[in-house]
Amino acid sequence: MHNSSHPRTDAPREAGEPVIDVRGLAKEYRVFDKPEGLMASVTGLFNRKSRVVEALRGVDLRVEKGEFVAMLGPNGAGKTTFLKLLSGIITPTRGSATVLGSVPWERTDDFRRRFALVMGQRNQLWWDLPAAESFRLHKEIYRIDTPRFERTRDELVDLLDVRKLLLRPVRDLSLGERMKLELVAALLHEPEVLFLDEPTIGLDVVAQHSLHRFLAHVQAERQMTVILTTHYMKDVAALCKRLVVVTQGSILYDGSLEQIVDRFTSHKIVTLDLDAPPDRAAIDRLGFPCEIRGPQVILRIDRTRIADVLPGILRGQGVRDVSVEDVPLEEIVAEMFRSGSTAGTDGATGAPR
Amino acid sequence: MTRYLSIFLTFARACLVRDMTFRANFVLECVTSLGWMAMNLAFYLLVFTFTPEIGLGTGWTKEPFFAFVATGLIINSIVQALFMPSAEELTEMVRTGGLDGILVQPLDAQFLLSMHRVDFSAFANGLVGVGLLCWAIPRLPQPPHPVAILLYPLLIACGVAILYSLVIMLAAATIHLGRNQSLYDFWFYLTNFSRYPAEIYSGPWGGPLRALCTFVIPILLVVNVPARVIAQPLTEQGGMMVAGTVFAAGAALVISRWVFQAALSKYRSASS
Repeated sequence: MHNSSHPRTDAPREAGEPVIDVRGLAKEYRVFDKPEGLMASVTGLFNRKSRVVEALRGVDLRVEKGEFVAMLGPNGAGKTTFLKLLSGIITPTRGSATVLGSVPWERTDDFRRRFALVMGQRNQLWWDLPAAESFRLHKEIYRIDTPRFERTRDELVDLLDVRKLLLRPVRDLSLGERMKLELVAALLHEPEVLFLDEPTIGLDVVAQHSLHRFLAHVQAERQMTVILTTHYMKDVAALCKRLVVVTQGSILYDGSLEQIVDRFTSHKIVTLDLDAPPDRAAIDRLGFPCEIRGPQVILRIDRTRIADVLPGILRGQGVRDVSVEDVPLEEIVAEMFRSGSTAGTDGATGAPR
Repeated sequence: MTRYLSIFLTFARACLVRDMTFRANFVLECVTSLGWMAMNLAFYLLVFTFTPEIGLGTGWTKEPFFAFVATGLIINSIVQALFMPSAEELTEMVRTGGLDGILVQPLDAQFLLSMHRVDFSAFANGLVGVGLLCWAIPRLPQPPHPVAILLYPLLIACGVAILYSLVIMLAAATIHLGRNQSLYDFWFYLTNFSRYPAEIYSGPWGGPLRALCTFVIPILLVVNVPARVIAQPLTEQGGMMVAGTVFAAGAALVISRWVFQAALSKYRSASS
């Protein structure tokens, strides 16, 4: 279905035009429910019950050149479906989208040469062959001339320190090593847009950190436009200024990392380290929600009252140390996932433009 | 076109590298395939100890029939080597979502999906087929006409094209169904009809079957027409069959292309 109001064009975009422009994008799937039990299975052969699942419900999004956007959401939120639509793998049920001025699901070669998709849970390198062979194939498919290919490959390989892995069969590599080589393959043709679908899933902390540094460097250097889907706040905090939170196929929040704290929390976390475990009644008298962990007291205090109440608290006996922090992003986002709130859906809320 | 050829050669090279990585498996596949073929040839030799001809007056005596068998071996080995491994893998790619990676690449998806794997061990049968043909041709009752020698490679290509189209349409069914692990079996059953001279399909059951396998699913043209051209005298009816085969090959390619593109547009991708 080519339901698009945008004119199809592979021509260069005009200045000021967004790299990614999505309007009312929706994707529905018809799924068949398989009942339990033998009899029900036999009956199901003749009379299958189906229902429509809305993977995306009319999403709007504009992404400018050089933005690094994180898309965060629980499993089944529609993040991967969104990337598959923008990559032209599937076609939408409704709505329109252009990426680099092209309608993705028309799958023109010109368009497909200008972006890359890396899926953390899918292997795109040849399993039984060394990555060097996959790179060679990539060179042919993307028509990369030899000097450019060698220069880019060497640069990426050195940045990720994977030169010694190039001649080892991919099946013999660890997940982290494989993901690094997947990224090299994806970036060989110097795409203008990069879609990353959970690239750090299953990786250890060291590998995650290494990928973060690499992606941040390459994105900044090439001014690539990147959309990253992830479950991990660490990815978001390390890489992105803009965050899009998706649940149940809709955008719940689209804005900066800083704004999400202001918008969705009214309090700060004040942590007091005391000389000794406090008297519970005395802490309760302060009148704030609290948690006591031995000599440590964690208070949730309205951000507008912090300046007024903190001096009084510090004057109390036995305060050795104090810290005032925003509510952790994980907690805010988890709460958003749980509530499925629509508080931030007033347009592209707070999106950096 | 040059680019696609270059990419195909790169695929072929990568497959050869992989096959050489698992040399024992490669040798085993060659041996299994040659063993199966040797058993078939022994069976046909056995048949010819009972009868001088397959069907009276058909012209399929021993040497022409072995030219027929050789033609079948050559065509089938090309299809088995170039297209079947990719088509079989497509089933798994659709089920696991591996097809996603193909669809984002700036190349014709049908080309990528049908030609990215090459099974070099399948060429072993083809080489034996060429050998068998070289043995049979000098022993034919009538040497092949020069025109027949020119037509033969063209008709081999047409036979490959018809079988390729069938494979592609079956692969397209995989995209629709999400899972189609009987693809290879179904292809084997269908192509089984093409392994024997068309003349054996006669009578109240054979006649309609022959019509079906000639005009609807033209698999009877795949081996029969090139084999007849090389092994039997050229006739006017043979000329009609040659034209029909060329037309059928072209039509099969166009229809299979359309079916495959339609299937791709309905691709749902697997959940990640």
